[in-house]
Amino acid sequence: MINNNKPNLAVEIAGIKLKNPVLTASGTFGYGQEFTPFLDLNKLGAIVLKGITLKPRRGNPPPRIIETPSGMLNAIGLQNVGVEALIREKLPYLQRFNTPVIINISGDTREEYIELARRLEEVSPELPISALEVNISCPNVQKGGLAWGIDASATYELVNCLRKATTLPLIVKLTPNVTNIKIIAQAAEEAGADALSLINTLVGMAVDLDSRKPELANISGGLSGPAVKPVALWMVWQVFQEVHIPIIGMGGIMKTRDALEFMVVGARAVSVGTANLVNPRAAIEIIEGIEKYLIENQIREVKELVGSMKI
Amino acid sequence: MTILNLKIKILSRKEVTPNIYLLSLAAPAIAQQALPGQFLHIKCSKDNYPLLRRPISIHRVNPQKGEIQILFQVAGEGTKLLAERPVGDDLDIIGPLGNSFKLYPESKKVMLIGGGIGVAALLALGEEAIRQGKEVQVLIGALNKELVLAEEIFSDLGAKVEVATNDGSYRYKGLVTELLEKILEEEALATGLPHQIFACGPRPLLKKVSEIAFQKNIDSQVSMEERMGCGIGACLGCVCKIKGEDQNNNNNGLPPPPYIYKRVCIDGPIFRGNEVVWDDQ
Ligand SMILES: Cc1cc2nc3c(=O)[nH]c(=O)nc-3n(C[C@H](O)[C@H](O)[C@H](O)COP(=O)(O)O)c2cc1C
Ligand code: FES
Repeated sequence: MINNNKPNLAVEIAGIKLKNPVLTASGTFGYGQEFTPFLDLNKLGAIVLKGITLKPRRGNPPPRIIETPSGMLNAIGLQNVGVEALIREKLPYLQRFNTPVIINISGDTREEYIELARRLEEVSPELPISALEVNISCPNVQKGGLAWGIDASATYELVNCLRKATTLPLIVKLTPNVTNIKIIAQAAEEAGADALSLINTLVGMAVDLDSRKPELANISGGLSGPAVKPVALWMVWQVFQEVHIPIIGMGGIMKTRDALEFMVVGARAVSVGTANLVNPRAAIEIIEGIEKYLIENQIREVKELVGSMKI
Repeated sequence: MTILNLKIKILSRKEVTPNIYLLSLAAPAIAQQALPGQFLHIKCSKDNYPLLRRPISIHRVNPQKGEIQILFQVAGEGTKLLAERPVGDDLDIIGPLGNSFKLYPESKKVMLIGGGIGVAALLALGEEAIRQGKEVQVLIGALNKELVLAEEIFSDLGAKVEVATNDGSYRYKGLVTELLEKILEEEALATGLPHQIFACGPRPLLKKVSEIAFQKNIDSQVSMEERMGCGIGACLGCVCKIKGEDQNNNNNGLPPPPYIYKRVCIDGPIFRGNEVVWDDQ
């Protein structure tokens, strides 16, 4: 039976058609397979994988995470299997699902990013690779990472080089650890980004008063979870007014209403991060909740919500 | 093994000793498949504070009744809320998680060493070892007499139980690892050394047990603890250092360091004592 009253949840980001606007945030959803006991990957808008580098990385020493009021700090340090193992061992599994897969990439040098992008483009005809999410905002590695994302000209240069190196859609992931995110967003757009995603984590720390030691071996870490939502909403709103390319909003989305708020301030799609660690079905419940909301409010297309804030 | 995310009912709750609680839970699907040493990842709060789940060892399993028990100490906000949850309430859990203690068929005699609340994770193993007809010796360590856990339960099962208290208020005075050394000396002369040693407790205890076992050439398995995010192997938040050469890793041309990071939630929580790198932290 065709239900004409069913609202349309589909959105398009960077030329990729998503059946709904809910993605999984990089680093909180592993390589996808870990979550198959809990949900059907086919139902997701897209899967964004754990950050990958050219060579495997061992990551930071433990302890790597600590809970903070309504949030958490993490300093994983980009531990990952490296692009070759990703291609060999992780991506083939995801082929059986009809959900776009977005690969989050990181590097120490421009050359590393470029080589990664080239390698992934090379295998993209045979493997599920819909887009690259360029992480220029990881606060937990010594070199690279954040250094790109806090400087407009470095952002421009990196994205521009990647634009020339690959035809894969480029989503540039921005950091909130800047004085003016609009300038960075603009630089990424001018350099040829197809979409932006924000926010990555906010740099912070936690200390144990009794031992007077930092809670994380890395001392600092990235704050995520409900605690960062107001900051993330504000950043998405600012960037939305500045750029013409679509925005994937994230930061503290735990439930349906959080996701919808991000859309209202300008996000065309959203990513669910820390919530996956607490409730492995969070993304699915949010998708179902969005559909219900649209029906209840007689909204035919989820797109209508994007940037609909009244001021 | 399937990992489940369920809401399970709290059947009973008891404060067995100050700050330590025993909860019985109705969970047939978990009871059917749980292995000794596995844990549950429990949402202690009903809202976002505390946000993350807490890993809690499965204490006892009753597949016939479809029940499991957890025994835990109130150590922070999460476990405090857990201890306050009323009977009849539904707990949101993920489990059973992790690998398990491995009893070798040829081990006739095994030794279990628990320090503090670490004893909680050893009961299911003790029951299984007895069921398999093994000779089981249990060493329980506690700060004082009041905090000695599960002594009677282990005795009733047919295990030989020894106790060490730090303040000497009950039985052996001193650390349970000192008691271990003493007993191993005696056993070596009497009925022979155990074939396997299993331990759960604070990190210094695990380290010491591993060293003693290594010296005596006894196979040891320890239950590691680390802060967890997802509990299902996805976030890489829970790693510990395990010996091994990571050939793949680029270390800027230097030889790779002699360890790799393994996830406590899925590669563990049980590791062999002599494969853990103990020096840091
Ligand atoms: C444990 C953990 C690991 C993460 N790893 C990555 C990563 O590899 N690459 C990346 O771009 N962002 C990473 N992030 C950031 C998230 O993708 C997301 O931007 C951030 O957590 C904010 O969303 P949230 O509050 O919903 O978690 C990580 C976050 C967490 C909590
Ligand atoms: S807690 Fe997430 S990988 Fe172990």
